[in-house]
Amino acid sequence: MSDHVRRAASADARGPIARSPIAPAPPVAAVAGWEVSARRSDADLTVTDLTPLAKVQVKAPWDGALAGTLGGPFGRAERSASFEDAEGDDEDVLVVGSGPGEWLALGSPGTAPDLVERLERLAARLPNPEFVTVVDLTHGRALIRIAGERTPDLLAKVCGIDLGETVTPNGAAFRSSVARLAVDVVRYDRDGTRSYLLHCERSSGQYLFDALLDAGGEFGAEIDGFVEPGLS
Amino acid sequence: MSMRLGPQPGEVLDRTRPFTFTWNGREVPAYQGDTIASALAAAGVRVFSRSLKYHRPRGLLTASFHDPGCIVQVDDEPNVRGAHRLARPGMRVRSQNTWPSLNFDVKAINQLAGRFLSAGFYYKTFIRPRWLWPTYERVLRRFANGGEVPPEAAGDYYDKRYAHPEVLVAGGGPAGMAAALAAADAGASVLLVEEEHQLGGHLCWGDEADLAALRGLSERVAAAPGIEVLCDSAVLGRYEGNWIAVVQRTVPGVAERLVKVRAGTLVVASGLIERPYVFAGNDIPGVMLSTAVRRLINLYAVKPGERAVVLTGNGDGDAAVADLKRAGVTVAHIADARLGDDIVRAHGRGRLRSVELPDGRRVDCDLLVTATGWTAPAALLTMAGDRPVYDPRAARYFPDPARLPEDVLAAGGIAGDGSLDELLAHADAVGAEAARRATGAGDGPVPIPTLPVDAHPALFRGRTHGIVDFCEDVSSTDLVQAVEEGYRSVELVKRYTTVTMGPTQGKLEAVNAVAIVAEATGRSIGETGTTTWRPPYVPVTLGALAGRVFEPVRYSPMQPWHEAHGATPLVAGAWIRPDHYGDPHAEARTVRGDVGIIDVTPIGKLDLRGPDVPKLLNLLYVNKWSKLDVGRVRYGVMCADDGVVLDDGVTGHLGPDHYLMSTTSSGAATVWEWVENWLQTQHPDWQVHVTPLTTAYASMNVAGPRSRELLERVTEGVDLAGEAFPYMNVRTGRVCGVDDCVLWRIGFTGELSYELHIPAAYGLHVWETLMERGHDLGIAPFGVEAQRILRLEKGHLIVGQDTDGLTRGFSAGLDWAIKLDKDDFVGKPELAWQQEAGEYPRLVGLQPLDGSVVPEEACQIVDPPRRADRRPRIVGRVTSSRMSPILGRSICLAQVDAHLAAPGTQVTVRLPDGRHIPARVTDHLAHFDPTGDRLRV
Repeated sequence: MSDHVRRAASADARGPIARSPIAPAPPVAAVAGWEVSARRSDADLTVTDLTPLAKVQVKAPWDGALAGTLGGPFGRAERSASFEDAEGDDEDVLVVGSGPGEWLALGSPGTAPDLVERLERLAARLPNPEFVTVVDLTHGRALIRIAGERTPDLLAKVCGIDLGETVTPNGAAFRSSVARLAVDVVRYDRDGTRSYLLHCERSSGQYLFDALLDAGGEFGAEIDGFVEPGLS
Repeated sequence: MSMRLGPQPGEVLDRTRPFTFTWNGREVPAYQGDTIASALAAAGVRVFSRSLKYHRPRGLLTASFHDPGCIVQVDDEPNVRGAHRLARPGMRVRSQNTWPSLNFDVKAINQLAGRFLSAGFYYKTFIRPRWLWPTYERVLRRFANGGEVPPEAAGDYYDKRYAHPEVLVAGGGPAGMAAALAAADAGASVLLVEEEHQLGGHLCWGDEADLAALRGLSERVAAAPGIEVLCDSAVLGRYEGNWIAVVQRTVPGVAERLVKVRAGTLVVASGLIERPYVFAGNDIPGVMLSTAVRRLINLYAVKPGERAVVLTGNGDGDAAVADLKRAGVTVAHIADARLGDDIVRAHGRGRLRSVELPDGRRVDCDLLVTATGWTAPAALLTMAGDRPVYDPRAARYFPDPARLPEDVLAAGGIAGDGSLDELLAHADAVGAEAARRATGAGDGPVPIPTLPVDAHPALFRGRTHGIVDFCEDVSSTDLVQAVEEGYRSVELVKRYTTVTMGPTQGKLEAVNAVAIVAEATGRSIGETGTTTWRPPYVPVTLGALAGRVFEPVRYSPMQPWHEAHGATPLVAGAWIRPDHYGDPHAEARTVRGDVGIIDVTPIGKLDLRGPDVPKLLNLLYVNKWSKLDVGRVRYGVMCADDGVVLDDGVTGHLGPDHYLMSTTSSGAATVWEWVENWLQTQHPDWQVHVTPLTTAYASMNVAGPRSRELLERVTEGVDLAGEAFPYMNVRTGRVCGVDDCVLWRIGFTGELSYELHIPAAYGLHVWETLMERGHDLGIAPFGVEAQRILRLEKGHLIVGQDTDGLTRGFSAGLDWAIKLDKDDFVGKPELAWQQEAGEYPRLVGLQPLDGSVVPEEACQIVDPPRRADRRPRIVGRVTSSRMSPILGRSICLAQVDAHLAAPGTQVTVRLPDGRHIPARVTDHLAHFDPTGDRLRV
């Protein structure tokens, strides 16, 4: 265990520390029991490890009642109204229509159990029962965000999909080869800045992170650490 | 003598940044913006290379990307286009394939053997006697006209990217720029690709009016937000659906980048390429095209000679005369082809001395400029299905718009003639129409004006014969000879003589070659046709084609620990796994004696949920699954439809309608696809959801007699006692403070062992905690090699190693698992047939009688012949073998023919060195603890 990892681990004595497959760039901090990079970058193009986000998969009939409740049809990502609290505040849950009859809900770090429970409750409340399963994939996926106006240029070096407005507007979600890896890509612009979420199997997280940094080197890409709640 | 001129209005030099490089060891001055050729020409160099066959001295011809006379070696890079590549400080430039020097090249002796190297000599010589070919080959290799890649050369970095412009414009001359601007104005995204280092085409070396027009266009392109410009780049080819390959050379730190473009509409605006004139001596250094001298003077401020003769058939030749005079060159004679003037031959050896005129006069000169017509580089159009049509009025080919697909258009000189304003207006309409076709926007087709066709004298070959293909050293006499030998098709002439097959790929020589073949066959040029243009448009490096190779790798959460503790990595597919930590035998002994821990994260894991999971398991596994209580685990084998073993693993019943299936590491993806395929295509009505969780869990196997003792220290919520948590059971609980861990009591090693599946983010924490808490128990990590030893001692098969693509279930020793009394399962008919047939190979345990010999895996098991002159018959093979550290002897698994499978049978193993050794079939597959007492404690 490296020194900076030890420091991060000891910083949170409440329980075991959770680690992303992507080695955190120092300095390291702890967020919701996860070891994260606290590095800050003001570069125009940044790469951030968002693996600590809660990631919950839902499978249900693609044309069923839950599909309508969740929002986020296949190929689109939306903040779902189902996750607003009583006051209508947004609870930072992004629902990605990642496949026909398949959704991925992304939430703040540490909220996976709650998210699973709420999704199961949503399914249970359906007027007509549907075959629905909810699986926590938080530990099974690496999640990376790239942000900046040159992100399409970066992605164009590793991915063959047309990233233009017509084909992949904000909110578009697709699965494709990225640096020869099967990756789910979500266009997730924030505050007018182009941004993408990329998630893959956890075991290839470091590889994908390195490939993105390498591809972005030409455009001055830098690592930007994790800032709560993750999906700003 | 310096030939550098004073500053020119359109020069591309930065005279504030002078530097030097070396040419064949000699230092040469240059300015930023110089090409290698322009700097050398400014330094008075006239000879840049030697020709392919005859090693004749060659000078500048086009002074452009396509110049065949200036291909050089730059540092470790061969075949560099010296008339295009920018000079840079310190570069070492050398001539290629000359010895002992460029000026005195011994191989020029080939000129004396010229009559033996004529058309098709490749097919006539060096054929017989056949046994001498290796010698011929060695000699011929020395004459190969390429540069060298030193074995120790450092590789360059090549890259690739994708692009999806709505409009791609190939060619950044005035028409290309105008088309790009119009397309962008119409709302299309545009990729503008230009071969030169700057946009502008012929405007760059034009007069004040041309330069003013260029400035205006350049400013508009720079300001247009929708246009991406790639200079020093080439469109290599156009494929189905406007899939277009572009090679880009302007990325810092990258040698070349292959851009894979999917364009809505392709606009070909590649301009015109001036073609040489064929006459005797047309390859003597000092004979240049009019565009070459205009480029040298106006772009690079180089005086191309002192005393010139000019053969002109068009306005560009006239402009060259004006430029020469302005540069201080004496124009000794002008032959105006429009008035019937001509030249006969050029005289000189290493440099031009004089030009012979039709009236017999010889005009002394060191420069002969020809302006005799144009070639339309229609390659990209041809790749899109076009067949260019020859127009005798203009003495060149034009595209046939009727044959072009909807997504390809042509603009600029390739499409017609006219004033600059006419060409720009045409290109503007083409660009707008290209945008309309790509985006679907607009009110209807944009009317495209028709360009005029200017008359031009038909000038191909003069009164004498000369070089047609400067790259391949093919002369007009070669072409005539080929026709005389019966090759009347221009395509056959091409293959027989290699004309148009050099680096210029026909851009300079194709029209002349066709004209000469037409003349020799008595047909018209139109009747003769053209050769076929195929990708690549220009030669491309193998590096650019290969691009960057991505090789995804997979790591377990414990990888940092393995690296820190000296694990020797094993590449297993994409996974990087610890093979061992120094001594695999010691690791195996630790597992047998105390407790060991292995990282088994790559084991495939599928989460199965739904009421119909038992149906799925019954369908895919050969054994029965209807009655598997919650908390129980069962081993299962999958066979394909043909009964061949596909994969194996265990599946645990975690809770109501909830199962966790494990697969082999290498079979994880295959099994997932297999399961989904059966569900989606055969049983979409079944309520089963499958989710791959292979990397959601960090998996580790804690194995050995003291494993329970260790886990009792760190596990909460699970009673680990043998009676409460017996063999082949599963529990979920808290391990090392981590919730939701899955514990399987199974045993691949043959010892009491627990397979822990930990939420992956906590994998390293749990591993480190186990190592720390198990220290006093003698815990040690073990790698894949120790695991292989242990499982072989126990006689567990590995699918893919002890089975192959033909091994059906009963041949894998799985008789006990295959339940043919089930209603149905995948592979059942084939397995039933196999059982009925009976005579199938068997998997057996095997021990060499000499326990110190370990037969290599895949060694054949043979039936020794009774007669010495017969070859032994193969009756099996060793599938696994190791030296057992516990048993102190070699142990094996083997596939043998049925008649040799009985325990105690002695078989013969043939070793790789040819020796035969005896081995005995054992009573069980397991060599150690065959009754399984150790794992059931």
